Amino acid sequence: MVRFEKMDSLGRGRNQLSRGTYLKMSQSSFVFLDPGGRRWPLFRRVTLGLSVLLGLGFILFVASVWIRPAVRLPAVSRELRNRLKATRPIPTPDRKALDWQHYNPRAREGPERPPAASGKIVPPLRDPAVRLAFYPGEDANAARSLREHAHSLTHIAPDWLTVSGVESTVVAEPDVELAAFCREHALSVIPILRNLKGDVWQPEAVEELARADIGRQRAWAEMLSAKLREMGAAGVLLDFDELDPNLQAQFTTLFATLAEGLHSRGQELWLGVSMDDEFGTYDLEALAPAIDRFVGEFFDEHAEGDEPGPIASRPWIEGWLEVAADLGTPGQWVIVLGAQAYDWNVTRNRAEALSFRDAMSRASYAGADVAGEVEVAAPDYNGHFGYEESLGQHEVWFLDAVTMQNQLRAAARLGFHDFGVYRLGAEDPAIWAVLAQAGREPNDEFLRALGALPADETVTHVGRGEIVSADLSKDSGVRSLKVESDGQLSANYSDAPNFPVLFHQPSADEGKVTITFDDGPDPTWTPRVLDLLKARGLKAAFFVIGRNAEQYPKLVERIVAEGHEIGNHTYSHGNLAEMPEWRWRLELDSTERLIETITGYSTTLFRPPYNADSTPSDVAELAPLRFAEQELGYTIVLETIDPQDWARPGADAIVQRVKDQRSKGNIILLHDAGGDRAQTLAALPRLLDWLEERGDRVVPLSELLNIPRSDLMPRVSANEQSGWRNVAAIGFRSWHWLVEFFWSFMLLATGLVVLRSLLICWLALRQRHAQKRRKSVEMAPWPAVSVLIAAFNEERLIGRTLRAVLQSEYAGELEVVVVNDGSSDGTAAEVDLVGQSDARVRLLSQVNAGKSAALRRALDASRHEVVVFLDADTLFTATTIRKLAEELAEPAVTAVSGNARVGNRVNFVTRCQALEYICGFNLDRRAYTQWNCVTVVPGAVSAFRRAALVEAGGFSHDTLAEDTDITLTMHRLGHRVAYAPEAIAWTEAPETWRALGRQRVRWAFGTMQCLWKHRDLTFNPRFGALGFFALPSIWFFHILLVAITPLADAILLWSIAAGYAAALGKYFAIFLLLDLILAAVACALEGVPLRRALLILPMRFAYRWLLAWVVWKSLLRALRGALVGWGKMERTGTVRTA
Amino acid sequence: MRSLLVGLLFLLAACEQRTEISAAPAKPVDPRGRQLLLPEHGIYTGAYVNFGEQEDDVTLEKIEAFEELVGKHQAIIASSSYWGEQTFPAANLKLITRHGAVPLVFWSPWDRPYTEDRGPDKYSLTAILAGTHDAYIDRWADGARELGGPIFVSFGNEANGSWFPWSGTYYGGGNPIPGSDPPRFEGPEVFKRAWRYVVDRCRARGASNVQWVLHLMDYSTPNDVWNLAEQYYPGADYVDWLGFSLYGSQFPSDEGYPDFFSCFDWPYTELAQLDPNKPIMLCEWGVGEFPEVGDKGDWIRGAWKIMSQSDKYPRLKAAVFWHERWQNSASSGGADGENTDKYSDLRVNSSAGALRAYREGVASPFCIATPLFSEERPQPSAPPSR
Repeated sequence: MVRFEKMDSLGRGRNQLSRGTYLKMSQSSFVFLDPGGRRWPLFRRVTLGLSVLLGLGFILFVASVWIRPAVRLPAVSRELRNRLKATRPIPTPDRKALDWQHYNPRAREGPERPPAASGKIVPPLRDPAVRLAFYPGEDANAARSLREHAHSLTHIAPDWLTVSGVESTVVAEPDVELAAFCREHALSVIPILRNLKGDVWQPEAVEELARADIGRQRAWAEMLSAKLREMGAAGVLLDFDELDPNLQAQFTTLFATLAEGLHSRGQELWLGVSMDDEFGTYDLEALAPAIDRFVGEFFDEHAEGDEPGPIASRPWIEGWLEVAADLGTPGQWVIVLGAQAYDWNVTRNRAEALSFRDAMSRASYAGADVAGEVEVAAPDYNGHFGYEESLGQHEVWFLDAVTMQNQLRAAARLGFHDFGVYRLGAEDPAIWAVLAQAGREPNDEFLRALGALPADETVTHVGRGEIVSADLSKDSGVRSLKVESDGQLSANYSDAPNFPVLFHQPSADEGKVTITFDDGPDPTWTPRVLDLLKARGLKAAFFVIGRNAEQYPKLVERIVAEGHEIGNHTYSHGNLAEMPEWRWRLELDSTERLIETITGYSTTLFRPPYNADSTPSDVAELAPLRFAEQELGYTIVLETIDPQDWARPGADAIVQRVKDQRSKGNIILLHDAGGDRAQTLAALPRLLDWLEERGDRVVPLSELLNIPRSDLMPRVSANEQSGWRNVAAIGFRSWHWLVEFFWSFMLLATGLVVLRSLLICWLALRQRHAQKRRKSVEMAPWPAVSVLIAAFNEERLIGRTLRAVLQSEYAGELEVVVVNDGSSDGTAAEVDLVGQSDARVRLLSQVNAGKSAALRRALDASRHEVVVFLDADTLFTATTIRKLAEELAEPAVTAVSGNARVGNRVNFVTRCQALEYICGFNLDRRAYTQWNCVTVVPGAVSAFRRAALVEAGGFSHDTLAEDTDITLTMHRLGHRVAYAPEAIAWTEAPETWRALGRQRVRWAFGTMQCLWKHRDLTFNPRFGALGFFALPSIWFFHILLVAITPLADAILLWSIAAGYAAALGKYFAIFLLLDLILAAVACALEGVPLRRALLILPMRFAYRWLLAWVVWKSLLRALRGALVGWGKMERTGTVRTA
Repeated sequence: MRSLLVGLLFLLAACEQRTEISAAPAKPVDPRGRQLLLPEHGIYTGAYVNFGEQEDDVTLEKIEAFEELVGKHQAIIASSSYWGEQTFPAANLKLITRHGAVPLVFWSPWDRPYTEDRGPDKYSLTAILAGTHDAYIDRWADGARELGGPIFVSFGNEANGSWFPWSGTYYGGGNPIPGSDPPRFEGPEVFKRAWRYVVDRCRARGASNVQWVLHLMDYSTPNDVWNLAEQYYPGADYVDWLGFSLYGSQFPSDEGYPDFFSCFDWPYTELAQLDPNKPIMLCEWGVGEFPEVGDKGDWIRGAWKIMSQSDKYPRLKAAVFWHERWQNSASSGGADGENTDKYSDLRVNSSAGALRAYREGVASPFCIATPLFSEERPQPSAPPSR
């Protein structure tokens, strides 16, 4: 703690001077006095001027950040949407339409076959009928759809389980939130178990199990069952692919064993059956008794791996439904109907799974609906349209509510009751109404409702790739429906709805990869990343946070100088989705300005922080992207390869994740800041090796996007907005230096406080040591002592004070001179009373003239060689005078300070002061005396040689702190000033904050006056420790550090609120700890209970603020240059000597 | 004596250790300008790792996945280059080289749709001999030369079979060449002429880094005198390695499960007789998983045992495993479509037993994980090293 040296004044509070007297006494020489009164107005004018200038500068700076940085060219040809163009859908022969015939014996018999199962009434196995939905974990829309339609469903099939390898290892990755949701909504969870690892089918995982002996199969069933129970699942849905039909019999046995195991624990076994050339894998007739449900997948006639074609054409699905109707127990089937879409890029020969909404947005933006080509009609009754863009010709096939109606109708006619939807989140929202109808013939009202295609806020995607462009517009659409003569429903999408869209710009070259680093720069990690890239001659893109760029401009410069690209990652890395629009602009513009002023380049690259950087699925996430692109002209750079290095999964995992995701995209996200990035740094060279080995070329974004670097990062031209740029530059630089200064100051202050504290401790302990070893002094004779007391209205206390003095155990001659300074109470009578019984007391009376005058009078009237000053409210102990006199045994010593302690420890205020006296004043004095640099001998208890006082010219009146003044004068004369810690005197401290404040303002002001008056002593080599240690200490620790307390505390509070407490907190912790140590040492030295030292902690926050106020008030007074008046301290007479 | 024993133990331990880390050599040497050395003891281990329909979709991911599966780095990685693509597979071969393996390329002169049993197409041997494809051959040779490091090239593999269009059977088969003594036959003669033609052209382009591998089928189809290996041998000057494909049962319809020895011993001996010095490579080897007729694990264990009999088969210097699973269609394998929709699983992990046997066998230091190269030769045409 930084403490205020007590500069007890001989003229303490109660000695009310009339202003007039004082002026007469000292007007000419009163330190800080400004008789002309010009200083204060001048100061005010200067301050006002500076404030206005600062304010103007700040406004200009804000404006410079808000004024749009130079208008930039659109860097990326972001016209993907414009390039979408409808084309005539290419009709393809449906080669798979009749594949089912291979599995239907009656179909082979000829056309006369009786219609299978039609008219057969099959009761449902379960009431209500099963409504199953496939739930893909990676799709945010699935969760949204489930929330809305949970009431329409009975079962959920999430993709939680995989089995892989020859050990048939099962990995479970349940979604706890989904499980909880299903529990709440009474939905049964039937997780899908796929034989899939990454995107490689693992037939051996199932085949090996099928070939294993029954014991192993049972054990495996038990293991699976346990996992299901753990997940709270009602059963499992086996969805195996690429199994060898050669093992059909073994599969039958395996599933029977499995069913046995699950059933015994009340769990169900559902089996996914693909309606394709894998249909023959299982012997369904043989399996029927064991399997609870056959889950027929009546979709994917044409899927991603195939040529373009209908996903479930009418002949295809109706044929397969008949095949299913002939197999298994009636009602055993759950008919899963498709509700999704595929987009085949026939030029590039690759396909992509879409949602219905994705397909609609594509149709709408390409204008396929306007061309009248989007139809659900004979013969396939699947939705189909074509479009083209720069990278190829596309064919889109989709399933909708219309196909769902037709297919449900066909299924219902065959007696099926239980249905499923593939897949949640991808469906036409109208299917739910259709599903509720369960295939009944539609009425007109229903058809009208089905014709509307309302748009909602669901985000759709067009294209694939990391460079995106958002369009938030949405528009409802219409499809006209028609019931054909055979009851089939057909539709024409005369106006396809469009949803908010994120257009993705694909990169043309799949062999190119760009590495991007987010969140930097960081002084530890960014340089290492840069070194590594430099050594390999590779370029990357750094998406910097403005806040960090501002802090480490040199790193930003280096990034650009070494040929890397810089992107904008906002100023504060906040979640844009939760910010108002003006914040987006501020976040981006300030960072842009910063990059411009540091590097001389603009950037057109932007990456949003938070989740929005991978797959934004929310309009709230899209809106800032659209703003950044449309309003500010940025190119939005997302990423697909995200190893989550920030979570520190280990370098191995980072490498592995990149390997796993590499084929999905071209931009890798890593971080060069935001924590310990050692793992990222360790993974980086391995990643680069691997990419190189793989044949990838690591290129900067400009090369990946095929845009010149000068377009991505245009040089800031010299004359363009140069004024605003300069303002911004100065602003950022000033702020930067301010922050730098703050931290340097924190460091310096902490260092000095630590040093000073250690020094004080060391000196005080040495002093104590020396004092203990010193033999008690015997003087012969003891010098004669005059005790001088000035009294003004001290009726209550004076008697006690006098008696304490007179009871002193002092061997030398003693006289007490009391000057009654015109008291209006019975002070004189009290003194007389004591004087009658002891001749050593003399009373002088005068008209009220102030304490100084009273003391001067007392000094004149006293006779002895040693003069002891004592306040009328201060109680001496029996040995106080003796201990003071002992110090004077050494001839060089001319002044001795006693040990004043607070006698009235009655409340918090006085307890604080008591501790302050002990660990502030007295500890310091104890230490200072070692180096003869005690700065104040307090008027409450002190002793002087008369000769020295005379030499000094007595007390002067040009400061409010005569005691400090005389002490410094003693030093100036080359005398020694000693401290007698055992010369204890109990004084009365102010008991209210108000009184304490008044007292301290007086002390502070007086001290400042003395410091100013004796300023030539500071850093004066003649005065050694006083000039280089004691006086500078007051300036720095007792004035400056105290003055900035409110600022420091405000910054601390802000840092806690803003979450940077850790950085600043350690400094505060050091300060507090040192205070505590010092207090403890002081208490130990003074023999006071150690626990009292704990009071230092609350004092730090209450007491110190008072001191800060005191310092400021004194400083302003000094500036104002006026005379200081003060009130009288309330006396309570509560001083006790223990 | 004791110190000798201790030394031996250390040596063994060292070998053991090398096996463990052999899955990932620290930093592969740059093979450019170097010659591949023949291992004095042991065989280079290699694999074809299901690179898709055209056998040329080479990815590091697939190679690494296989190596992790078997626990060993591969010294040879095989892939195809079909003439119908009209390209030199530079990216594939560079990838394999960077990975620290030597590429084995099946350079197959046929055209899309690359279906067997169709007979010669525009890339026929006669068209090659007529000079129709000189430009492509030259381009390919340039690519090979630029690659710099050693490449195994198997041109027109399994020509003594009947399924590929470059087989002797499509070029006059066993028609005797009048006046030849010992008798020679039209089919194999056309093949040899084409072989020499291609090799000469490539050498003329400076592709001296190519190791020419004469890659036949273990047993000829038809197994007639005119179709035997010796009929296809174009001469010591034109061949660097002798090689053959070896398959046990491949189709569910195959009867029995012939063991490795019976598939290996005779073809090895037949090839060894063609030339007294040439090293021999098992260019493809594998077997299906049909537990009802034979144990694949046992078969593989037997294979490793036989291949490591270096006193008996001292010239076997490389073995490349065929790691693929496919679904048979009506036309593939067997008669009457009885294999239709059924799978042939030749992968190393078709069963736990197969995988275990392969891993245990390949773990032996006898199976060499990384190619051994000569010191770098100063070559004026060598590109600057990395």
